Amino acid sequence: MTADKRAASVAASVAVLLLIIAGWQAVASKGLISPVFLPGPDRIYAAIVKGVERGDLVAQTGETIRRMILGWALASVMGVAIGAVIGVSEAARVWVAPMLEFVRPLPASAIAPVAVVIFGLTDRMVLFLIAFGALWPMLLTTIHGFSNVHPRLREVSRTLALGELAYVFKIALPAATPDILGGLRLGLTVALILTVVGEMITVQGGLGARILLGARSFRSADLFAGVALLGAIGLVSNGLLGLAESRAFRWKPR
Amino acid sequence: MALASAVQNAAARLIVDNVADRKPQLVFQSVSLSFGATEILRDIDLTIGEGEFVCVVGPSGCGKTTLLRLIAGLLKATGGAVAYRGQVHDRPSSDIAVVFQDYANALLPWRTAEGNVSLALEAARKPRRERPARIAELLRKVGLETHAKRFPTEMSGGMQQRLQIARCLAQEPSMLLMDEPFGALDAMTRQKLQDEILAIVSQSNVTTFFVTHDLEEAIYLGDRVVALAPHPGRIAKIFDVSIPRPRDQLTTRETPEFLHLRHKLFTFIREAEA
Amino acid sequence: MTRLRGLALPLALVLMWQIGAATFGVQSDTLSKPSDIAFALVAGLGDGSLLGASVRTLAAAGGGLLIGAALGVLFGLAFGLLPPLSRLMRVTVETLRPIPAVAILPIALLAFGFGYRMEIAIVAFACFFPMMILTEHAIGQIAPRLMEVARVLRLTVAQRVAKIVVPASLPRIFVALRLAAGIALIVAVTVEVTANPMGLGYRLMTAAQSLRPADMFATLIWVGFIGWALNRALLAVEARLFAHAPEA
Repeated sequence: MTADKRAASVAASVAVLLLIIAGWQAVASKGLISPVFLPGPDRIYAAIVKGVERGDLVAQTGETIRRMILGWALASVMGVAIGAVIGVSEAARVWVAPMLEFVRPLPASAIAPVAVVIFGLTDRMVLFLIAFGALWPMLLTTIHGFSNVHPRLREVSRTLALGELAYVFKIALPAATPDILGGLRLGLTVALILTVVGEMITVQGGLGARILLGARSFRSADLFAGVALLGAIGLVSNGLLGLAESRAFRWKPR
Repeated sequence: MALASAVQNAAARLIVDNVADRKPQLVFQSVSLSFGATEILRDIDLTIGEGEFVCVVGPSGCGKTTLLRLIAGLLKATGGAVAYRGQVHDRPSSDIAVVFQDYANALLPWRTAEGNVSLALEAARKPRRERPARIAELLRKVGLETHAKRFPTEMSGGMQQRLQIARCLAQEPSMLLMDEPFGALDAMTRQKLQDEILAIVSQSNVTTFFVTHDLEEAIYLGDRVVALAPHPGRIAKIFDVSIPRPRDQLTTRETPEFLHLRHKLFTFIREAEA
Repeated sequence: MTRLRGLALPLALVLMWQIGAATFGVQSDTLSKPSDIAFALVAGLGDGSLLGASVRTLAAAGGGLLIGAALGVLFGLAFGLLPPLSRLMRVTVETLRPIPAVAILPIALLAFGFGYRMEIAIVAFACFFPMMILTEHAIGQIAPRLMEVARVLRLTVAQRVAKIVVPASLPRIFVALRLAAGIALIVAVTVEVTANPMGLGYRLMTAAQSLRPADMFATLIWVGFIGWALNRALLAVEARLFAHAPEA
């Protein structure tokens, strides 16, 4: 597809979305569905504006983002570091890796009760939940990346007398980077989900708490506004990582 | 006319005779290798002299790649001894360079041509200031100076193989091991690279161990051709290639010596396979 | 032999935990001995409570999977067969897709209150997008040669879909279904942990809040087991049904 055609296609697609929103607005204005369950886009927009003016929406959004990023960053550092050590060592893979397979089928949110037992209904519980949940996909993909370095590159490293540390940083790490970045992306998705779960359980601020309270008090416009913002957070964070990924891999054959 | 060719013949004989007086660099003494119950190589006795160009041929399963990997130090012999420069040799050495057949897997796709050559210099801990000049020189030697900033995935097969050779030369090796390096390339590129290798090798006098399944290539390039028989791999016969250097793709391949040797080698292989 | 080596480390850790807890008499409202957990697991299975909760969770997950997958495959088929339609809907899909399924929880709660319907709705939402995208992708992966054959044989659209498109993309759609089943279970448990008072997630949360850690860990292990068993079962079915299919 040429660049012009692509631009036209995107424009048409945006037009479709706007049409759907307009249709939704029409349905809501006519009162066909109770505004308690499905508020119109105008009321959602008003809720966002009011929330921003009051300042609480911005604060809550910031809190959610902060938790998500912090937990994700913690999990990233640990996941990549531990994953590198396990992935590079043949011995570690035999003894340690099978144990990780036990944890894999576990839903990350099932850890939430354990986190509550250990930390109570606190901010730290949410952070622990996010970090723990995001850790596993990153750990597993990192191990996969490091253990799947082509054996030929190992041999090249030996014939060049490169040394173990140099091998890890100059060869294994760059070779594993596609997998690692994929894991980071997956981890971010998990982090967002667990942020919302954690906030809903502890009800201590953040968008998760906001939308749950919105449901309980039938303030649907507030609720939908929060959901929209969460979707936006997901979109932007994923998009940014995707951008970083394509930047890092200009050498990959497309 | 007759005087000129007589002088040429005498000179050629001198060059050929020198091969026999070379100092032994790599010695296989009754070397055998087994993986569990399977015997891959049996009773290999071979001496390779400094500056020699030795080619190894044989049908698949004869262990020629295994032999190369023994010299590379990537494998350990299960019987007998491999000696390099008089010392026991059982691990990789930085002055033995290996050119692998699957060049795409042996190059770092995330580094440019320069970066890939640099890897060898980094491993040898060459001072940073000296590296750019050395890299440029090596890339020029293999004809890749205009592609210095290209990534391997942006290069053809022949170019990638040249890049691997450049990286090997960066090790300043005294021995060059090549495992069917031109097998995956088209005929024209293969011939070009054959001549380039001969030029590079004659300039630096590096000892070369060249594995190939192409009998004519073996004769064209080598001072000696080692023919292996399969199951288990053992040396069946060693042919001396008394064709003078420098060699030429067109004329050398038409000389009586070449055709005679070709006939002998082909017959031998055919009988061995029967 | 290597299989056993993999078990060595976790078994050793569990053993150390048991001995340590028994010797030092660890506080029993935050942690518990492996032996206690084992007892709780057996007890939970024995009195049917664990199985009862499992049935409820699996029913909700299954219901949501059915709806979400059916709709997903339908839309995926439509988008796969009509690329212009897919392109028109691209922006709308990409706007809705990043919304985490849990964020839909309050909306479903508002509409349905607590119980099965709310959980099924959320699971359906979570399964819809992956199924749709993977189905569309599966159709795109059909060898062009097969589509040419359809044209040459002058098959009608309905025939083309029924005789070529569906059978050719079925293996990949089944893989997508297996993935979606995993998602369904995870989302179901998540909804129960967060808000819905039924099923395994709820059991986990109540055990935690009433300071019964042995029961909590036992349920946790059981949840992990169910997830693993489900995946294994689906893999076996996949192997059975698609033994003939050419490698993806």
